[in-house]
Amino acid sequence: MFDLISEIMATLRHNKLRTALTGFAVSWGIFLLIVLLSVSRGLVNGMESMFSQRDTETVSIRGGYAQKAYKGLKENRRIRLKDSDLGVLASQNANVVGEVTARISNDTSKVTSSKDYLTGGYQGVYPAHQHNDGLKMVKGRFINQNDINHTRRVVVIADESAETLFGKEDPIGQLVKISDLSFTVIGTYETEWRRDTYIPFSTARAMSGGSDQVNNITVKLKDVSTLDESDRAEQDFRSTLGRQHTFADDDSGSLWIWNRFSDYLRSSTAMGAIGMAVWVIGLLTMLSGIVGVSNIMFVSVRERTHEIGVRRAIGAKPASILRQIILESVAITTLFGYIGIVLGVLVSQGIAALVSGSGGMGPGGKDEILKDPTVDISIAIQVTVVLIIAGALAGLFPALKSLKIKPVEALRDE
Amino acid sequence: MIISLKDINKSYPGVVPLHVLKDINLSIEKGELVSIMGASGSGKSTLLNILGILDNYDSGEYYLDGVLIKNLSENKAADLRNYMIGFVFQSFNLINYKNALENVALPLFYRGVSRRQRNKLAMEQLERMGMADRATHLPAELSGGQKQRVAIARALITKPSIILADEPTGALDSKTSKEVMQVFRDLNNDGMTIVIVTHDPGVGEQTNRIIRISDGRII
Repeated sequence: MFDLISEIMATLRHNKLRTALTGFAVSWGIFLLIVLLSVSRGLVNGMESMFSQRDTETVSIRGGYAQKAYKGLKENRRIRLKDSDLGVLASQNANVVGEVTARISNDTSKVTSSKDYLTGGYQGVYPAHQHNDGLKMVKGRFINQNDINHTRRVVVIADESAETLFGKEDPIGQLVKISDLSFTVIGTYETEWRRDTYIPFSTARAMSGGSDQVNNITVKLKDVSTLDESDRAEQDFRSTLGRQHTFADDDSGSLWIWNRFSDYLRSSTAMGAIGMAVWVIGLLTMLSGIVGVSNIMFVSVRERTHEIGVRRAIGAKPASILRQIILESVAITTLFGYIGIVLGVLVSQGIAALVSGSGGMGPGGKDEILKDPTVDISIAIQVTVVLIIAGALAGLFPALKSLKIKPVEALRDE
Repeated sequence: MIISLKDINKSYPGVVPLHVLKDINLSIEKGELVSIMGASGSGKSTLLNILGILDNYDSGEYYLDGVLIKNLSENKAADLRNYMIGFVFQSFNLINYKNALENVALPLFYRGVSRRQRNKLAMEQLERMGMADRATHLPAELSGGQKQRVAIARALITKPSIILADEPTGALDSKTSKEVMQVFRDLNNDGMTIVIVTHDPGVGEQTNRIIRISDGRII
């Protein structure tokens, strides 16, 4: 093996410039492949980190306006969701519904402390809400089931709101007033763009003065894995609520439905397609490099007709000539491919440093479009395998041509 | 008898088939120093190709050191060339990016001999040719006579049954030619069978027997 390698190195050294020019095409192809792969990996990572903070398997439903006249009712009716819808949704779609939660919004109340006050009202929510909205707790805890069961007057606020209300003091255990009732602060969450004030659903219900309306119902799906199933579940929810509130199944304005699971599946598919497209583009770019290698190996075989004849005359078997030509081609491809890989990795590391340095999109760099645009070891292995196969293919046809060279060539004068 | 040709015929196909060798019968004994002479087109190159197992013949029988050389596969032919024949060429045919030692060792590479062993044997052959001090030189750094000595060392390293030389002095000046012929005669004195193909009468005279070929027949 060592002999074969030194044999190959000697022939490559013999034609330095030609080898380098050929190799450049291969390096360039691999370089582009690696950079493209790492950027697409970054896109996927960015998307996944965005989704992973939130619960993807949920469907959010809000009341809208029924656009169509139905069963004697006029068009343009306001549809208002109510407490009883939760139980109906759960019981009539039991096979796909995991948990049904709801939210009561109040936009007008002020939240006041001894120092200052917040506008924007409050949201009465269930514990599951924390994950639905992707809230990260900074201090304390979120609302739990006991708070709901005991209709506790507790509140969770954004950490920036806590600063407004209490300054540098520890907000946990402080009292605030909402609609003239005292609430204890039990937790603060990291402020992104959201600064809602959360209280237990049951407490908000008690404060709503006998109303049974909810602003939003969130259904957590279970046993749903495909886009079809997810879309069908969405349609089923619309039908169920249509029976409750008397509107047509196909009346799309009646409810605002945000199917996060379908969104997630669609964007996953899109990301998968980007990944595929990158491989296709990268491989096609590499193909031109490979054709170059093949071409140069043809030239090399032609130039070395006499030498190959001499080798045959002194006892080289056809297979050893074949092996040498193919391994030469693999050596050129892999060597320069690796140069391309190294450069590609360096550039993608550069991009990674740039992206994390500038903080991506959102404030504080939370929602990065690109996250960790780097290639891991599995991609390096895949690319190496591709390189070796490509090199062998590039060398195959020139090598087959070399088999036609007869040992008699040795006797012809150059 | 190391070489025995019986009724060898060879023709090249074409619109008008060319009958190059006609009923060639030839015997060469072990230890002979023989030259094959003839004008160009006489068929001497074709005869050399057949003797060197570089080409097939149409009919007849060729025994080399007791082995019938007929209808061989490419692999078998390559092995027989490697083990039984040492070639010396007019234009030396050294591989120009390998140094003298590597060139001499090359036939053993195709025999699967280890690198260390190969280089040791190659060095011995270079010493025998008086070329030990040039072992690391590339062919381009050697004179014509030196190159031919390296080529002869390469032919000898496999300990072949015969040495086949094709116009070994064709590319050399007269002084160097004499030196190279002296090398061949010395090898012959050591018992090596040598067949030299040439059109140079001066070379033919220095051999023990001259086989003349003309128009495809031995005369």
